[in-house]
Amino acid sequence: MKRAGRVMLGLLGLMLFSVIHALVTGSAGFGWLESLAAVFGLGDPLVVSVVSELRLPRVFGALLAGGLLALAGALMQVLLRNPLADPYVLGVSGGASLAALLVMLAGLGGFWLGLGSFAGALCAMLLVFGLAHARGRWSLSRLLLTGVIVAAGWGALISFVLAIAPDARLRGMLYWLMGDLAGVEPGVFPLLVLGIGLALAWMLARDLNLLARGGLQAAVLGVPVNALRMGIYFLASLLTAAAVSLAGNIGFIGLIIPHLLRLLIGSDHRLLLPAAVVLGGSFLLLADTLARSLFAPQQLPVGVLTALLGVPVFLYLLQREGR
Amino acid sequence: MLQACGLTVTVDGNTLCRELDMQVRGGQCWALLGRNGVGKTHLLHTLAGLRAPAEGYCLLDGERLHRLPARQRARRLGVLLQDDVSSFPSTVLETALTGRHPFIGRWEVESEADFQRARAALRQMGLSGWEQRVVRSLSGGERRRLDLAVLLTQDPPVMLLDEPLNHLDLAHQVRLLRLLRRLARQQGKAILMVLHDINLAARFCDRVLLLYGAGEWEQGTSHALLDEARLSRLYDTPIRRFDGLFAAQ
Repeated sequence: MKRAGRVMLGLLGLMLFSVIHALVTGSAGFGWLESLAAVFGLGDPLVVSVVSELRLPRVFGALLAGGLLALAGALMQVLLRNPLADPYVLGVSGGASLAALLVMLAGLGGFWLGLGSFAGALCAMLLVFGLAHARGRWSLSRLLLTGVIVAAGWGALISFVLAIAPDARLRGMLYWLMGDLAGVEPGVFPLLVLGIGLALAWMLARDLNLLARGGLQAAVLGVPVNALRMGIYFLASLLTAAAVSLAGNIGFIGLIIPHLLRLLIGSDHRLLLPAAVVLGGSFLLLADTLARSLFAPQQLPVGVLTALLGVPVFLYLLQREGR
Repeated sequence: MLQACGLTVTVDGNTLCRELDMQVRGGQCWALLGRNGVGKTHLLHTLAGLRAPAEGYCLLDGERLHRLPARQRARRLGVLLQDDVSSFPSTVLETALTGRHPFIGRWEVESEADFQRARAALRQMGLSGWEQRVVRSLSGGERRRLDLAVLLTQDPPVMLLDEPLNHLDLAHQVRLLRLLRRLARQQGKAILMVLHDINLAARFCDRVLLLYGAGEWEQGTSHALLDEARLSRLYDTPIRRFDGLFAAQ
């Protein structure tokens, strides 16, 4: 347990660094002391408004979206017992994307975009669950196949909407599909979802450890496997829906963060789950800060940076473990 | 004590075992014998409460097994599965500790006593000093011993083992069977295991359950049941006894 404390402390340190880094980085050219003072409403009103209205919401948005995705990914990987699983594998994000693009096609944005994509994600979740569950018994392979096929269907519909969309809206749509934190408005809702989701998942962490060893072995040791699987499915889907409605389809976090942590700290979910939330948030925030500062004033979609940063880190760890 | 009452096990309409009545009492060591594919594993899973019977029921200490909450069942009945594949890295000690899961409350962590049990089980299985090794780096036989260590850490009064000797070398096979017999005799465990080695079954198990296929079965003491005629029928191949040992011709 001492080790768990050290790991969490280290990760929280990383989070603090990523937050400060994000607050003081920008094209406006403020000093770092000035920027930090502005967080507390001190100093030049211009600086205060830039920091508190532009940078701070983005910090919260990135921390929340990254945490939600990493947690959802960790749960999905245990549920499907497949290291390739990520929050999007069962098509939750496909439904969200289609709904979001339709909202954009209708010329709406902001609040409607978040609501639409969340509703789309819920529809996709229920659709896959209903289809996989149709004959009463539901098996994992059936769930995985149904999800992957339905996701392919969403992909086709998304391509269709992109094909018929007017050019003026296309750029916004593509950015959303790649994941973008510009103009993010994190309300209290995603925070609630993340908080409650993490608490629930953490309560089940030891059962998850057993489920990762196989459903039958978990059943032998007294885990109510079917109920647990259903619970994880809904929980991971809700977390994904909240993340996607916040910042679009940010890729890679949900796949790579849980794996990275498994390589670094092992597979005990009591530590892995909170660590994934903190590292996922920090990682996305660092990537987002780079995305908006690397080619400033041009902003890259953060999804590009998560993959560009994540791939080499992950490959390095994998190589190191192989030795 | 585990009891089967009129237990019928079917898979896809095929009856594997018809109206089985038997009692595995504390102190007894049972061998379940039969050809490949005759339904030994399905029967074992049904006796373990992991699978619903087509008809009949099981009693665990007089309570209906399939109605017991999973956690309560796991405190009294443990199963060694035939194979187990883990996709995520974990250490040998972590894995052994999973055996304590049914005894640890939702808000508790493993106690010092749990760690001691896990370490003792690893020691019994010859895995001492390997606590921090990653499970994936173990050989097939070592992994099998780790699975057995999980069961020993769980330490339930009723133990059902599906081919516990798989992957084990001869020395470990005999060592394990001695240990199981000692657990039955000295600690009053009720043990039933699927075996393929008739001679080891005859040597270490006092009772046998023979599964002939098409739902037919026979049970009794090893002494009474293990003979050339029955075993030839059981394995559908001539089996003779030479110098007290059975061999296929």
